[in-house]
Amino acid sequence: MKNKYFRQLKKMKPKEIQTTIMLASSVVSISIMLILGVVLYLRFSNSARAETINSTQKLMEQTGENLEEYLMSMRQISDAVYYNVVKENDFEKNKQDIQSGMNLLYEANKEKLRSIAIYNNYGSLMAAEPVASQKEDPDVTSQDWYQKAMEEMENMHFSTPHIQNLFNDTTHRYYWVVSLSRVVELTDQGVPQAGVLLVDMDFSSISRMMKQINEVNNGQYYYLCDSSGEIVYHPRQIQISDGIYEENSKRAATYKDGVYDEAFQGENRKVVVNTISYTGWKLVGVIPYSTFNHGMVNLRYFAVMMILLMTMMLVVINRVVSLRISSPILKLNQSVRKYEAGEKPEIYIGGSQEIRHLGYFIQKSYEQIDELMKEIVLEQNERRKSELDALQGQIHPHFLYNTLESITWMIEGERNDEAVFMISQLARLFRISLSKGRTVISVKDELQHAQSYMNIQKVRYKNSFSVTFDVEEELYSYCTVKLILQPILENAINYGVGNMEDGGEIRITGRREGDLIVLAVSDNGLGMSEEEVALVLTDSNRIHKHGSGVGLVNVNSRIQILFGKEYGLVVESEPDEGTRVSIHIPAVPYTEENRRILEMGHMMSREEIVDRKVQGQSNEKG
Amino acid sequence: MFILIQAVLSLLVILLVVVMLREQSGKEQYQVSVIVENSDDNQWSAFKYGLKMAAEDRGAEMFMVSTGAVLTPEEEKKLIEQEVKNGADAVIAEPVPGTDPAKLLKEVQGKISVMLVGGELPKSEKRRGFPVVRADDYAMGQALAEELLKDYDGKLNGKSLGMIGGRRDSQSIRNREEGFTETLKETGVEVLWSGMKNPEENIKAFLESQPEVDFVIAFDDDSLTAAGECGEANNLHGALVYGIGNSTEAVYYLDVGTAECVVVSDAFYAGYQSLTGLMNGMENSFRNYEEPQISYTVMRRENLFSKENQDILFTMSQ
Repeated sequence: MKNKYFRQLKKMKPKEIQTTIMLASSVVSISIMLILGVVLYLRFSNSARAETINSTQKLMEQTGENLEEYLMSMRQISDAVYYNVVKENDFEKNKQDIQSGMNLLYEANKEKLRSIAIYNNYGSLMAAEPVASQKEDPDVTSQDWYQKAMEEMENMHFSTPHIQNLFNDTTHRYYWVVSLSRVVELTDQGVPQAGVLLVDMDFSSISRMMKQINEVNNGQYYYLCDSSGEIVYHPRQIQISDGIYEENSKRAATYKDGVYDEAFQGENRKVVVNTISYTGWKLVGVIPYSTFNHGMVNLRYFAVMMILLMTMMLVVINRVVSLRISSPILKLNQSVRKYEAGEKPEIYIGGSQEIRHLGYFIQKSYEQIDELMKEIVLEQNERRKSELDALQGQIHPHFLYNTLESITWMIEGERNDEAVFMISQLARLFRISLSKGRTVISVKDELQHAQSYMNIQKVRYKNSFSVTFDVEEELYSYCTVKLILQPILENAINYGVGNMEDGGEIRITGRREGDLIVLAVSDNGLGMSEEEVALVLTDSNRIHKHGSGVGLVNVNSRIQILFGKEYGLVVESEPDEGTRVSIHIPAVPYTEENRRILEMGHMMSREEIVDRKVQGQSNEKG
Repeated sequence: MFILIQAVLSLLVILLVVVMLREQSGKEQYQVSVIVENSDDNQWSAFKYGLKMAAEDRGAEMFMVSTGAVLTPEEEKKLIEQEVKNGADAVIAEPVPGTDPAKLLKEVQGKISVMLVGGELPKSEKRRGFPVVRADDYAMGQALAEELLKDYDGKLNGKSLGMIGGRRDSQSIRNREEGFTETLKETGVEVLWSGMKNPEENIKAFLESQPEVDFVIAFDDDSLTAAGECGEANNLHGALVYGIGNSTEAVYYLDVGTAECVVVSDAFYAGYQSLTGLMNGMENSFRNYEEPQISYTVMRRENLFSKENQDILFTMSQ
């Protein structure tokens, strides 16, 4: 399973540099944008939340003040009725004054008031404004407001809203009031007694205030409850009493002023509480968390929209940038591909400094490769050609013909010993020439070959020149290329000493000079001018008047193919003085392994050659 | 690939713009029209208040269609059609006397969502998913009778009563009457007269012209207030009034002692539930609709100003 996904992932690996750059920069920029977006959104939504709570608190403070002001004015009315009207007058003597005083106060505050009434301690109505017929038996003393006033005589009492149950209303209506009741001292027939002053406030004034702040229809609402959690006003008052809806008012009544978090009926909400003085009522603002979200929905859409648009823009920008970066690389890649396909295109050079450099380098490399290829082909050709030449040189018909003729003459002249010597020399010559088809032989064999050749030539030239071999014996066991001395000797005879009547001398020397083996053929023949010397190793097309036709060029190139460019022939000559051709080859001990490596054409590096030499030396010592 | 990404992103942007515009244009409010007989009558106050509150809670728009004292089935059908034309999404309708509720529902349901208020269904139609809200009329009749029995410790032998109710063809009134008479069957009380009166008829004149009885039983709000009025004017020959009502007037007569007992159904709850039930049905399906239980309260002078009854009075006073 894992492997499967891994394989799929591998498949998804971008193949082009442009895609990689675009993908990487897109991922980075979009993630940064997303993080930034989320952080900003959270920050903004938090501050919006705080703002909502703040404005709720302010609104509640304002409403609380209004309510307090309203309740205060009711207290003032109550005070005015008590101190200015009731206290100063006797109910029997000054009934008219009391009535008119109450009337004055009622008329001045009509819009807030339902009624003002005074009851004595038996619950009998002493005076009321507006004047209305009392119900048959309202049972005032059992009513809540009366009892509360009597319980705590020194205080004023605000009731929760209730239906006024005191007077007959001919319009068949029932009024909701909040009762402010207090015990007063009244004088009736000169006798002071306790009574209860009742100021019934119209509940509609309070409900109007509450309705005003409850108008915003976003889930947020405000309600009013008394200190025991009884609802005074709630936008869903009846739903609550009908059991359709529930409110956490009992809990809210226990809160002090401030902001609270609560979970009620599975809903998280913020509750702001503000206490109304005089009454102990609590003004409660409820902000369900969904209200916060409600306001945030548009912001969320906006944020998502911004992110989408930014992403679109970023994708375009990333594409342009990645295209700009990758296009020179792609062009370079294309030209390299064309090259691979066998075409010979111009390698693209452009773009940034690094890519230009890369282009230059690739171009140069290709040029070098081309040159090297040409060289290799040339070398191969030369090698084949020189090997063929060497082969041809081995069996030069003219040489063979001459030698055989000499032998014939010898036999005819009954110089049998000489003939035998010639034949044996010839046989040795051929044996070494063939050498089982090997190219690399030991210096000893090469010298042997040269000796046999010279012995034959000496007979042919009737000992008109002398030959001296002066080769250090330690050189015998080193490697050399086959048949390199013979062409040089041939040249020495043909161009040097061959035409001399007498005193011709050919000297073959062999020395070791450090890592080098130097085999030299010197003659005291005609010699060459400097120009001719220069041509000997370069002009391969030189026509050979005599000899095997295998020139020094051939020998030189064979040595170089096998051992490297730093080796080869060195020709020194002075006209009328003689010529010295020295062969420079590395001192590689003649072992089967070294021979094989050299013959396979693997050119040994200098270090390798040195290694081989050291090895050989230690072998020798051992 | 690049074009594909851009295309997908543009598509998302367009989608978002569409959603945003939709949100901005606001959720369309359901428009619900309410058709009941004599819509301006006080007996509907609590019911209307319930509808209003439910509409506020559910974010719907509610219109009361103004109707006269008497609504014929034809007129009602016409009104419903007119409301459909006016763009109402749903109708809350009282099947007026003479209407087969099931038939009415079948006729209208295809065009518009309907919630019926009141109306007895044939037994075969009583099933889950039938959109109706109604008070238990039979039980209210029974309760009224039980109050009467309680007042006289079950000794009603030799007493007489007269019954007055709304339209004779109203199934609801018939059920109340049935519940009442069934309960008093074996008590020996004598029913001297019974009158089912259409609203346009003068009930007061009818009551005053009837022979003297011990109790006048009123089965609907109109009759109860008429009886109360007569009683207040001492035109009932001292008969005690028991009734089923729904208005502050009816309560007033109880308050002043003209009426002895008033059984009040929770019209607020009925109004609230009819609209919420309708909205639920529209948003989901009426298939799982279950008829809500509408409670009733027996009001006596003694408990008239109890906390619960004050709330009922509050809804009636709206």
